Amino acid sequence: MPEPQHLEPPPYVPGGTPELGPADAEVLRTGPGGRGPGGTGPGGTGAGGPDPTGGPSAVPSAAPEERVRSLWSDAWHDLRRNPVFLVSALVILFLVLIALWPQLIAPGNPLDCDLAKAQQGSGPGHPFGFNGQGCDVYTRTVHGARTSVTVGVCATLGVAVLGSVLGGLAGFFGGVWDAILSRVTDVFFAIPVVLGGLVLLSVVTSSTVWPVIGFMVLLGWPQISRIARGSVITARQNDYVQAARALGASPMRILLRHIAPNAIAPVIVVATIALGTYIALEATLSYLGVGLKPPSVSWGIDISAASPYIRNAPHALLWPSGALAVTVLAFIMLGDAVRDALDPKLR
Amino acid sequence: MLLEVRDLHVEFRTRDGVARAVNGVSYGVDAGETLAVLGESGSGKSVTAQAIMGILDSPPGRITGGEILFQGRDLLKLKEEQRRRVRGAEMAMIFQDALSALNPVLPVGDQLGEMFVVHRGMSRKDARTKAVELMDRVRIPGAAARVRDYPHQFSGGMRQRIMIAMALALEPALIIADEPTTALDVTVQAQVMDLLAELQRELTMGLVLITHDLGVVADVADRIAVMYAGRIVESAPVHDLYKAPAHPYTRGLLDSIPRLDHKGRELYAIKGLPPSLMDIPPGCAFHPRCTAARDLCRTDVPPLHEVPGERGSACHFWKECLHG
Repeated sequence: MPEPQHLEPPPYVPGGTPELGPADAEVLRTGPGGRGPGGTGPGGTGAGGPDPTGGPSAVPSAAPEERVRSLWSDAWHDLRRNPVFLVSALVILFLVLIALWPQLIAPGNPLDCDLAKAQQGSGPGHPFGFNGQGCDVYTRTVHGARTSVTVGVCATLGVAVLGSVLGGLAGFFGGVWDAILSRVTDVFFAIPVVLGGLVLLSVVTSSTVWPVIGFMVLLGWPQISRIARGSVITARQNDYVQAARALGASPMRILLRHIAPNAIAPVIVVATIALGTYIALEATLSYLGVGLKPPSVSWGIDISAASPYIRNAPHALLWPSGALAVTVLAFIMLGDAVRDALDPKLR
Repeated sequence: MLLEVRDLHVEFRTRDGVARAVNGVSYGVDAGETLAVLGESGSGKSVTAQAIMGILDSPPGRITGGEILFQGRDLLKLKEEQRRRVRGAEMAMIFQDALSALNPVLPVGDQLGEMFVVHRGMSRKDARTKAVELMDRVRIPGAAARVRDYPHQFSGGMRQRIMIAMALALEPALIIADEPTTALDVTVQAQVMDLLAELQRELTMGLVLITHDLGVVADVADRIAVMYAGRIVESAPVHDLYKAPAHPYTRGLLDSIPRLDHKGRELYAIKGLPPSLMDIPPGCAFHPRCTAARDLCRTDVPPLHEVPGERGSACHFWKECLHG
């Protein structure tokens, strides 16, 4: 391939810029100005010359301010200024911290219970009081964050990966597989979550979080797959996808490089909001006795255990419920903020 | 001949019926030659181009007949994987609206470099160097600094230059430009067209220029093929066609160009609308709008008659049209 230097200077470019229309002059203003090693090609030398259209004073000052703007950088720019995002992000950051290291703020053992103190109110060293088994409510609430966050994050990741892969492939290739997948999602949508959980999880004997997460992924992926499918179908119709085909890109390359980055935003938004609901769902299932089982520590288990004694010891119910409500709210608020930031129509 | 399209038929099957978008189009381009394909919206000019590139949306689109010979091979007989290697490397396409034809989330350098990664297996770093060379070549000022910029940070003219750079990246033998200047300001149009013509000369590529702008055609094209309702109605060297059209439709198009010496007079327009592709009139498709239509035109489809001077006209009465 010939080097660009082989190009003859075009006859109509005596000084570089004067032939450019107003639209191109605008580019010149922010573009060159000797930024980087760009002054070697014919375009570069031309732009370095006299600049009657662009306004010479604008050239040096504009360059450093020029920030690389993309959908993601714009979204981040918006998010940093959104109080809803800041508050929810702080709450979530705190939750993640105590999920990883609960001993930081609650050094006690959540399984260390003393029946003599059952249903006692708050006292020194035990700010939230004791539950029906005489366990420290504060310690259990803090340690319960780990299961909630684990279930929420793992279920969301599983749902997002499975849903977007299946939905994305169906939307991209269309045809028979798309029709089959759409019907399968319809079937899964028809299963009531709580009923499905009662049926499926009641036969599970494992007391870890994995059956619960597996159940959520099983019932949750159709939601994401529908969104991913629609989003991929929209992105597939863009001209740049056809342009990529015209330039000989393979279908996989088109899907991964051109469609996926343009179709992922709605999936991220829905997944963030869903994360909150999965945490609530874990509590629901544990409350019903089919989710996690003692000796696991979970807000759902505590809520379930405390609910018969709501009149005598409301604090044992209120603290884990409050923690659950705040957590779910934080994730839903985060999802809202992310949606606002990623939606170019709101900009 | 570099590219020869022979009797191409394309139809779209839709819920409302079959739209016959291309009905027996034949044209050819030599290396270094520019063929302008002229026609209204819906005349089948873009569909023909998509069929040549192999990027027709199918379904609903389907090629129902004909051959597309490119460097002697019939493209329609190649396997998809072989065709993919031809696309981009040996023939490339320039799209109308560069903003929508460039991926908004990728820096332009990555998109330019993708050509080298896909077809030449280059590393991303080398591909980026190549991208800067290409941007220099289409005279984008400060290319090395702008290679990481995103498409929306460029003006319309600069974006179209990037599209041209992408199409030229692997120095293909054939370029199809689908209305490359329609989305641009008039002042920028001329620059982009000049650049395209200059690079075409330099690399002796064949160029199929699809347009509905008679002004663009006159400057750069060697030959013109005028399309109407999925057929070629006239083909001729560009100056002969402007001097003396041999088809009433071409005559109508030329008469509808605003002219300075007709100032104050009403601008001529061809009466009626182009036919629906689901329901193309029998006989000559243009007869309902033709001022010279006779009974024969309503019943018999005119073949592409040979006209002296390497021309063709699909009009039963081309002699009358040519001479007056």
